[in-house]
Amino acid sequence: MKTLKSVGFLLGLPIILLLWWWLATSGAPNFFVPTPAKLLTTFVETWIGERLITDVLPSIMRLVVGVLAAIVLGIVLGLAVGLNRTMRAVTEPVFEFFRALPPPVLVPVLMLLVGINDGMKIAVIISGCIWPVLLNTIEGVRSIDPVQNETSRSYGISGFARIRYQILPSATPTIMAGVRQALSIGLILMVISEMFASSSGLGFTIVQFQRSFAVPEMWSGIVVLGLIGVALSFIFQAVERRVLRWYHGLKEVENAV
Amino acid sequence: MLSNNPTSHAGGRTLPEGEALLSVRNLKKVYHTDAGDIEAVRNLTFDLGRGELVCLVGPSGSGKTTLLKCIAGLLNSTSGEVRLDGQVITGPPKKMAVVFQEYGRSLFPWLRVAENVELPLKNAGVPKEERKRLVQEALEAVGLAHVPKSYPWQLSGGMQQRVAIARAVAYQPEVLLMDEPFAAVDAQTRADLEDLIRSVWKKLGVTVLFVTHDIDESIYLGERVIILSSSPTIVQEDILIDLPAERDQLETRSLPRFTELRHHVYAEIQKAKQGHRPEEAITMVAK
Amino acid sequence: MTTQATGGVTRASVKAKASRPASKGWPKWVLGLIGIVVFLGLWELMPVVGLVQAKYLPPASEVIAALILDLGLTAFWVAVWDTMLAWLIGLVIAVVAALVLGLVIGMSPFLRHLTNSSIEFLRPIPSVALIPLAVLLFGIKLESSLLLIVYACFWQVLIQVLYGVADVDNVAMQTARSYGFSYVQRVRDVVFPTMLPYLMTGIRLAASVALILAITAELLIGSPGLGKEIALAQSGGAISGMYALILATGFLGVGINAVTRIVEKRVLSWHPSVRGEATV
Repeated sequence: MKTLKSVGFLLGLPIILLLWWWLATSGAPNFFVPTPAKLLTTFVETWIGERLITDVLPSIMRLVVGVLAAIVLGIVLGLAVGLNRTMRAVTEPVFEFFRALPPPVLVPVLMLLVGINDGMKIAVIISGCIWPVLLNTIEGVRSIDPVQNETSRSYGISGFARIRYQILPSATPTIMAGVRQALSIGLILMVISEMFASSSGLGFTIVQFQRSFAVPEMWSGIVVLGLIGVALSFIFQAVERRVLRWYHGLKEVENAV
Repeated sequence: MLSNNPTSHAGGRTLPEGEALLSVRNLKKVYHTDAGDIEAVRNLTFDLGRGELVCLVGPSGSGKTTLLKCIAGLLNSTSGEVRLDGQVITGPPKKMAVVFQEYGRSLFPWLRVAENVELPLKNAGVPKEERKRLVQEALEAVGLAHVPKSYPWQLSGGMQQRVAIARAVAYQPEVLLMDEPFAAVDAQTRADLEDLIRSVWKKLGVTVLFVTHDIDESIYLGERVIILSSSPTIVQEDILIDLPAERDQLETRSLPRFTELRHHVYAEIQKAKQGHRPEEAITMVAK
Repeated sequence: MTTQATGGVTRASVKAKASRPASKGWPKWVLGLIGIVVFLGLWELMPVVGLVQAKYLPPASEVIAALILDLGLTAFWVAVWDTMLAWLIGLVIAVVAALVLGLVIGMSPFLRHLTNSSIEFLRPIPSVALIPLAVLLFGIKLESSLLLIVYACFWQVLIQVLYGVADVDNVAMQTARSYGFSYVQRVRDVVFPTMLPYLMTGIRLAASVALILAITAELLIGSPGLGKEIALAQSGGAISGMYALILATGFLGVGINAVTRIVEKRVLSWHPSVRGEATV
């Protein structure tokens, strides 16, 4: 009974929405919106096959490489800057400017500096995604508990061991919040770097469909992007739950008081 | 001196050179702040012999924590020195372990109980087998052998402080410094933890310096109590606690001698609060 | 709830005080200024030394001169106005829609359960996926920008509102009910005040997201605004001009961050808890 109810809640609204969509489109044909059945067959025809290998996977690869590089660079730089008061103060205004700079404007800049190739697309993703990770790492390192610092000092835990066992874990909740922002920025940049200047990739293909008024194909491309977004979000949540199990448990205990 | 007066000593007790494990000499600490200088500790001199259990008690704001941090090497003193085994302390020494008041923030919440206890040993390069044994023994000593896999925040406050004590014990220090470790736990737990400290001290022969603001606690726990004056801090009095070695929460606390000592310390602290400063200590300081 | 939050704040402020050592060395703003000067110096030197070609990255002085020149042009201010207009309209629509829906959904456990899966599925869809649809429907008009902005900001605000409503103290709610508060009164006097800090967090996040998408739409679709000017400058080879416009978008971003932070502080100055954003 209980599982039935939760399945009902899980699928209830999606089914209602699907039905509504089906009813709205199956009567009179609509140029802008295909029927669910049409979209499904177009989706399979368009994306399951060669395009998956020539357009979808390379896009995803660039996204993964770019985001991972941004995370690693952001954390390493963030530790270096965050642990030093003077460095923090020196870099703060410049970093705040780059955080506030809308990342899509980096696309034309990097097109000029790097040229139009895979390297440019990855560079765009890195240079857009690094700021939330970097600034959140700095913030996480800055706000470390002084009692934890004294504990490390009094037990002789210093240098790399201190970073490994005290500073990084304690900054992880803040860093993860930055990583979440980096992921959604990365996805945006993956799409628009391909829309702006490219001859392959997901973004390019979808724009081609739109320009040739292949509406069902265009919609199926939107669905692919949506699925990637949802998949990334689920992967992030799974990783976050694992990495921050202690943090969520701690918060639950604190909030229960 | 009347027989029921405690064996007391105005100013801190010192030992002949070479006999003290921990010696504090003319320690002074001034904080420089934007609002001006604040003299937290004026002039402290006392010794701890090997294996002693000494309590430091004083009115709130008497610089107890400052003193402890100077001894632990976490703060630099303005002048004077602290020696451990004859060596001047400049940073946290290897042979010392500290138990902080804020157990919730001193234990790392991302490490499990056993991992918290193990971390300082791992960092010190103790081999794995020995580490395991030390952690196991320490957890057994504090009565927590059954929860090594729990996270600290899943435990009650008293149990968390036991973990912190286990971590200190496993580190095998010569001196154990405790900074009001039981200030944030309830009364029943506190009594249990006091007995735990006594038993750990006896079993391991470690030297303990225990800071508290609680007069009863200092007398019940200590073999010796050092009373601090109000800030800027000097030693008000240094008394020996001549209670039987076997202490019991009910029996010991109902001894007439316990009450006498309690009255005495209480009176001294009241005097300290009113700004009375022992002549002798000041003259000692002067020379 | 309230006392707990206050406790958190006091502890945090005590911590901040304790961890601030006596001021030594140069004040913070001087160090920040040094950072800016070093950054501009490196930028100036890079093309001069030949690390990059000056035609791809002109020296900082040239770009700043171009920006100053822009400040005197009406066309520049029209572009700024267009961008800010799309930003503001999009943000307002998203906030109002998310606030109303968030309150309705959040206050009913049934609706909360019913919508949960759909929200979790729709939220991560990147709004740039809608670019082709926007072009198809609206072409290069303002509406294209608005579609992207509203979609992206709506979820940011909705999620925060839902968290805020979920945070409402049960006891306070039952008290209100037992005193015969109506639905509207409960929303106004119990739910809204609790939710306000969350709403402000949502608006702050949405404000910067809205700028990103306004610029994206202009850059890619060509709806009017700074982004379109950047694309034009780039394709026209006016490289210093392009960098000047990029600097301008950065300053807009900094300005928006500063204003939302100030507004948030003002609005919540009475509130016992100036809380951090929920990490979701």
